[in-house]
Parts: sequence; C-alpha cells; structure tokens
Amino acid sequence: MKRFYFEEEGIHTQEFHVPLYRRASAQDVFFIGFGLFVLSYLIVFYLISVTNIFIKNPMEINISAMFQSPSFDHLFGTDFLGRDIFSRIAKGTEAFFLPGLLSITISTACGVLFGVLSGMYPRFASKIISYVLDIVDSIPRLIFILIIIVLFRPSIYLIMTFVGVTSIPKITAYVKAKVQVLKKQGFIESSRALGLAPTAIIFKHIVWFSLKSVLVIHATLGLGEAILIETSLSYLGIGVQEPIPSWGNMVAMGADYFFQGRVWLSSIPAITITVTIMGLYLLGDGLNAIYNEKVTR
Amino acid sequence: MRGMITALKLVLKEIVYTLMLILGVTALLFLFFNLMPGDFSGKGGGLPAFLDLLRGLFTFQFGISVVSGIDINAILFPAFRNTLVLTLGAIFISLVIAVPIGIFSAYRSFKGYSWPLTLFSYIVSSIPVFYFGYLVLFFVSRQTGFLPIFYPESSVGKYRILSYVLPILVLGVGNDAVSEIVRLISSELGRVMSTDYVIASRARGEYQLASSINEGIAIPLVSIIFSKIPFLIGGAVIIEFVFNWPGMGRLAFQSTLDRDLPALIAIAFLSVLMVRAGMILKSILLYIFNPGASRE
Repeated sequence: MKRFYFEEEGIHTQEFHVPLYRRASAQDVFFIGFGLFVLSYLIVFYLISVTNIFIKNPMEINISAMFQSPSFDHLFGTDFLGRDIFSRIAKGTEAFFLPGLLSITISTACGVLFGVLSGMYPRFASKIISYVLDIVDSIPRLIFILIIIVLFRPSIYLIMTFVGVTSIPKITAYVKAKVQVLKKQGFIESSRALGLAPTAIIFKHIVWFSLKSVLVIHATLGLGEAILIETSLSYLGIGVQEPIPSWGNMVAMGADYFFQGRVWLSSIPAITITVTIMGLYLLGDGLNAIYNEKVTR
Repeated sequence: MRGMITALKLVLKEIVYTLMLILGVTALLFLFFNLMPGDFSGKGGGLPAFLDLLRGLFTFQFGISVVSGIDINAILFPAFRNTLVLTLGAIFISLVIAVPIGIFSAYRSFKGYSWPLTLFSYIVSSIPVFYFGYLVLFFVSRQTGFLPIFYPESSVGKYRILSYVLPILVLGVGNDAVSEIVRLISSELGRVMSTDYVIASRARGEYQLASSINEGIAIPLVSIIFSKIPFLIGGAVIIEFVFNWPGMGRLAFQSTLDRDLPALIAIAFLSVLMVRAGMILKSILLYIFNPGASRE
C-alpha cells in the first residue's frame, strides 16, 4: 500500500524525514489511540492497586452480598464469595505487571545483544547463537513452561523469566537482519573511518538511532504475550493461585457458574483480557505501519 | 534438472540441521532431567545415561511413567494423533477465515467496507481461547442444543466426526494467527498489486489477483503458518483442558500436575519433531514458490 507520493517514484522513504504524525493513516491513529488507552488504564489500575486507594479490599469476603449483578455500589458486581470484582480486576494487574516488564526486559536486552553480535560477526558468533536459539525456539513455549514448573515451582516471576527467554529468538532474528543491512550503509562506514569505537557505533548509531522502533514494537507485543501466558496458566491453575486475584483464575472461578446463567462472573475478566490484549496488538500493528517495520508476532 | 539438485541439496541440509537441533534439544531435556530433585531410574549416570535416553527417544521407546507405571507409548501415541488432528484442523479453519478477509481488505482499505472484518479478526484473535471455548459451549450446546456437550463412551465411534467439530473450530478461530494473517496478506497483497508487473499483466487483460497470488499470498502465508505451529500446540493444551479432549496437551498438563517428567520429556520431544517437520515443509514450499530467494 502506498502512503506517500515519493514511494511511487521509487525514492527510498528513509531519505526524507517525514514526521510520524504525517505518516499515520486514520486506521493507524485509531489503532495507536486505542493501544495507548489500554496502556494508560493498565498503569492506572496498577497504581491504584499498589497504593490501595479508590478500591475496596479485594480479599474481603461478604457472604451476604454474593452473586450481585453490576450496580453502582459494585461496579462489576460481586463474585461467589461476595468479593468486589472491580477491585479484584484492578488488583489482578499486579499479577502480570512487574513480571511482564521483567519478561520484556530480558527478551529485549538478550535479543539486542545476540542480534548485534551475530549481525556484526557473521562468521563465528552467528552460527553458535543461531543454533542455541533454534533449540529454544523448537520447543513449544507452553510445553517449555510446563517443564519449568515441574522442575522448579510455579512462581510467576520464574515463569515470566522463561517467557522472556523463549521470546529471545524472534527479536534476535529481527535485530540481526537489521544490523546486516545497516552495516553496509554509508554512515556506519564513515563513522568507522572517522575512528569511532565499535561500541559507540553499535550502541549509538545502530541500536539507539535505528533499532528503537523495532524494540518498542516488540516490547508492546511481548507485554501482550506475557499477559496471555499469565492468564492462561492462572486459568489452568498453575500460575497465580486462588486467593490472590489474577484475571485468569477469575475466569476459571467464574466458569463454574457460567452455565447457571451467572455470566458476568467470568465474562468481565475475560472481556478485560480481550480488550487489553487487543489494545496491545493494535498498538504494535499501528506502530509497525507508521515505522514501516515488518515485525510479526 | 539443476533445480531438482538444488532442491535436494536444500532438503538434505535442512534434515541434517534438524537432526543436529534435535540432538541439542535432547541434551537440554537431559539436563532438565538431571536438575529435577528426586531419584528414579535413568537419572544421573552421565554420558551412558544420555545415550540411553537418546536411543529411547529416537526409537520411540519412551519408557515407563514414574507415576502410573504404565508404558508411556501406549498412552502417548493415540493422544499425539488426536492433537495432530486438532492442530491441522485448526490451521485449516484459520486459513479459511483469514485469507478471504485479508484479500478483501487488500482491495478495500480501512475506510471501505473491510474495517468491521478487520476489527472482527482482531477481536477473535485476542479473545482468550479458554473463555471462547465456554462461550461456544454455552451458545451451541446449552442454549440451542445443536451439538451435545459431551459424548458418552458408547457413542464415541458413532459421533467421532461431530465431536471433532467444536474444539477444532474454537482453536482455529481463537488463536492469534487470524489477525496476523489478515494484516500480512492485506499489506503484502496491497503492495504487490501496485507493482509494475501486476499492473502490466492487468493491462494485458489478465486478472490482477491471479498474477499477484504467488508473491502476495502464497509466500507470506507459508512463512507465517508454519511458524505458528508451536503456538497452536500451546493453544491445544488449553483447548484440550476445556473440551476434555484426549490429546497430548491434556496429557502434558496432567503430567505437570503429577510431576511426571519422563512423560513430559517424551511429549516435548514429539512436539519438537512436529515443529521441525513444519520448518522443513516450510523451506521446501518457499523453494517451490520462490526459487530465487533460497539460493545462496
């Protein structure tokens, strides 16, 4: 799809500086706006659940008020023990917020490191790194996590560390491809001719100036994946355990009452998961479109 | 003739690399096996034990479950077949849903009629698959009674095909491949349809879609579908839990609860085989569709 007049003339886009807001179509603006909305409510939920203001106690059991449908007093209703679902959803962000950031940090840092190494030194480092990463990539992620749970214990931080480890191969592949292209370009060659140190070339000119967008997109999509894994595992009962709220185990607990017609118990956390993950995916795809990167999930 | 030789070389190289990778995966699994606390047969013992494990895995003799004492082969292979059916069916369903939407939205961009379909593909692929299973069960089985909610043991042979319908449908619709295929096809097809050679072929009176189908649809599809297999196996774990489907994923979950590492290692080995077979198929298909790119 052609977005600018000079693409039709066969001129390389990178040679002009086009402001980002001009590159965006209506679709991209909608996607990114929705994604930023999702990110902002995630942060707000996390902050109010950490500071414990504005919400009711998510652990407080009130048998006289169970299965209440959504009302002004209980925004999303109450569950089978009379706990307020809204405050449990806000508290549920704690289950993946910091672990998800940990997973993103690990995958991005190691991905950049390995990608730059194997892009800059294609003869030796590249082969070993790609072999090791292919091994990690071959084992399906959920099976890998199940093995980790058997070996150690179902702690969410540990699981998220391994989610980060299993995302390394993808980021490495992108960074490597990008570095291989950038390495041959004029500005890298001239900065080498000027006597710039290799670390400065790599970290300033390649990573900071040219890879920012890829890393931001990957971080967004990675957070979505982390949330999906956390909720799935908590749903299966091997992630975050019951009295501590997580969106996944709230769906699992509500599912027992789903067929009795008390639909909102599991629907509200499930819709929250859907909207959140959709927002992160849309944000990633919108950024993809305006930065002209072709990053897949 | 030369093309054939190049293709054969490519396949041979892929197979050798795959064997090396499987060796590496086995070494990793052996490391895990030895890290696990507790003591049972096959643990420790260094290189001979590793060779034993290797021989067991490569001859498909997975040994005996440490929890139930049953031969793992007897339960694993029927489960593997079920999961294979589930995964292949889900890929098929994803393609059937996503490819027409992608083509449609390549013709009409977001401002046309395609945005509800694009949005639908995003919603469908971000809805958690476990909840989607409940929704489908609720509407199809509970409200309308179209399909039974569970199949009694005696009627399994009779309704085998019917019992496949819902899990395959839910996994095919609910994995995140749908929105990705839609996005990839709509952007790639849009790009290819405005290249010079497609415009020239249109000027000659050929169909625009027919001349851009190779570069615009086949190559992106092949490169994305086979890299989705690991995610589909992950989704199968959850779907099999929801629908109580006797597959490998449910077995994996059960052995996680039982801390039955030998069974889990056998399952991991089989799924690695599945993933790598997909990768070999991918490189062959990419060579068929685009012989120039595979040449080094």
